[in-house]
Amino acid sequence: MNFFYGISNDLFKSEIQIPLFQNRNFKKSNLKLFKSYPKNNKWILQEISSKKINDYFYILKNEDILSNEIFFLADETILNEFDDKKLKNFNNFTDTSPAFRANFKIYLNQGGFSSYQSEYPYSMVTKKGTILSSISSIANSDADKNYVLIKNIFEEPIEENFKAYLVNYKTKSIEEQFEIKTNYTNCIEIKNKLIKPEIFLVTDRYLGIPMYVSIKNNFLSFEHTHPPHSYTNNFEKVTNLKKEINEIIN
Amino acid sequence: MKSLIKKLANTNIGILLRNSLNFKPESSKSSEKDYPISVSDAFPWRTDNGYKTKFKYSDILNLFYKIKKSWVEFHFYSKNNELIKIEKVNDLNLSNELEISSKYLNNLEDYGTFYIYHFSENTKDLNNKDIISNRCYLGYSQNNNLYSFAHGNTLGKFTSIYSNKTFLTDIVKTSLFQNHTYTIQKYFDGFDKNELFFTNPTSKTIKFSIENKNYELKPNYSLLVEIKNSIISIKSNCLFFRPTIFSYKNKYLDVHHS
Repeated sequence: MNFFYGISNDLFKSEIQIPLFQNRNFKKSNLKLFKSYPKNNKWILQEISSKKINDYFYILKNEDILSNEIFFLADETILNEFDDKKLKNFNNFTDTSPAFRANFKIYLNQGGFSSYQSEYPYSMVTKKGTILSSISSIANSDADKNYVLIKNIFEEPIEENFKAYLVNYKTKSIEEQFEIKTNYTNCIEIKNKLIKPEIFLVTDRYLGIPMYVSIKNNFLSFEHTHPPHSYTNNFEKVTNLKKEINEIIN
Repeated sequence: MKSLIKKLANTNIGILLRNSLNFKPESSKSSEKDYPISVSDAFPWRTDNGYKTKFKYSDILNLFYKIKKSWVEFHFYSKNNELIKIEKVNDLNLSNELEISSKYLNNLEDYGTFYIYHFSENTKDLNNKDIISNRCYLGYSQNNNLYSFAHGNTLGKFTSIYSNKTFLTDIVKTSLFQNHTYTIQKYFDGFDKNELFFTNPTSKTIKFSIENKNYELKPNYSLLVEIKNSIISIKSNCLFFRPTIFSYKNKYLDVHHS
């Protein structure tokens, strides 16, 4: 199953469109939309009832979204079965090919907007690991500002700090480090001088989805990046590269 | 007997039959060869209506395999599959970019597709089962405004990393009938205009319909379709026929894969 998410901060606003149909089977589903967030080491569960705009979409506006919340489709039996200590694979409705996705849009009051088709698969929720992402492959040095959003969802309701680093692959050094947290949509700013081919974003303990935002003259660009194994099917090569870069931060 | 049926079901003809009967359909299949493969998406480029396109790509062979002196080739095609240009790039950084303007394409103001292939003469650091693919990242800028980036959307062609000049296709699978429907999981409401950019990544003609209009797309052709409805279903004989979306509001633009 897939989880969905947005962001709430002072820089930009967000909106999420969560479909109630599968992309290869256009039939409305009776599943409901729920949100969950960690509080005092427990997952809080709430049904979202008023945001269904028609038979086929829930649309969550900026005021409906917080950075620590996750959203998912489930039937009402979840209200009895929900485990506040661990996220479960509640159903397989969103296990589709192509992947079941929600449109995640960020926008500015001045009018600029950008979106991508987003999902956070359950298979990532149960794992720890590290992110590896090339900064210059998508950040834009011509933009006024560049940010990376890092969404982590972990199965336990923890709000734990961990580190994100910008490392220089050529000099084997750390250029900058940031404190980010689990079960949250984090936002870090990338200085233009660090948008270079040898700079990589890495995290030290948790997985997540890195999404890049560029802003210029109120125009926005927003896109997620691929994990390293989408570049090659040779997992040994991916592991070796990750090991090499992780040695820089350790 | 069971294993023979399974083998037959996984041949190209078997997959075509399964897809035509909608029985355990298969949208794509990576080819197994006895040499390492470089796979490319069918990447859309635009230089029409004040557009330019930027492509950002990694030196995969250097980054993952430590192979220096590899090179890439770009193959540009018009919307009607005419080869416009082949460009070879030798000096690669870990991360690179290419700006595709009308000037770059011989003053052509139009749209089409392009492919990127990685090549190397180094045979000792690659396994014959290795498959590499540069799926990132395409930016679209209209009237010199900020590029809106999206990643590659449709696996198109592949070739040997050892540069044997043979380019193969049909990673994406088709059906004999127009019996597959893909509904985009986006609510197209509140925009001034929405365009869908389709490209045919197969060697077969793709027949498709949207909003009760019928279209045909020959192999490696591309087509921009403006849509009006809020929910868009695409009925076709292709099992992975996902357009790139261009949504407009006021002077702003959003480009993303579907």
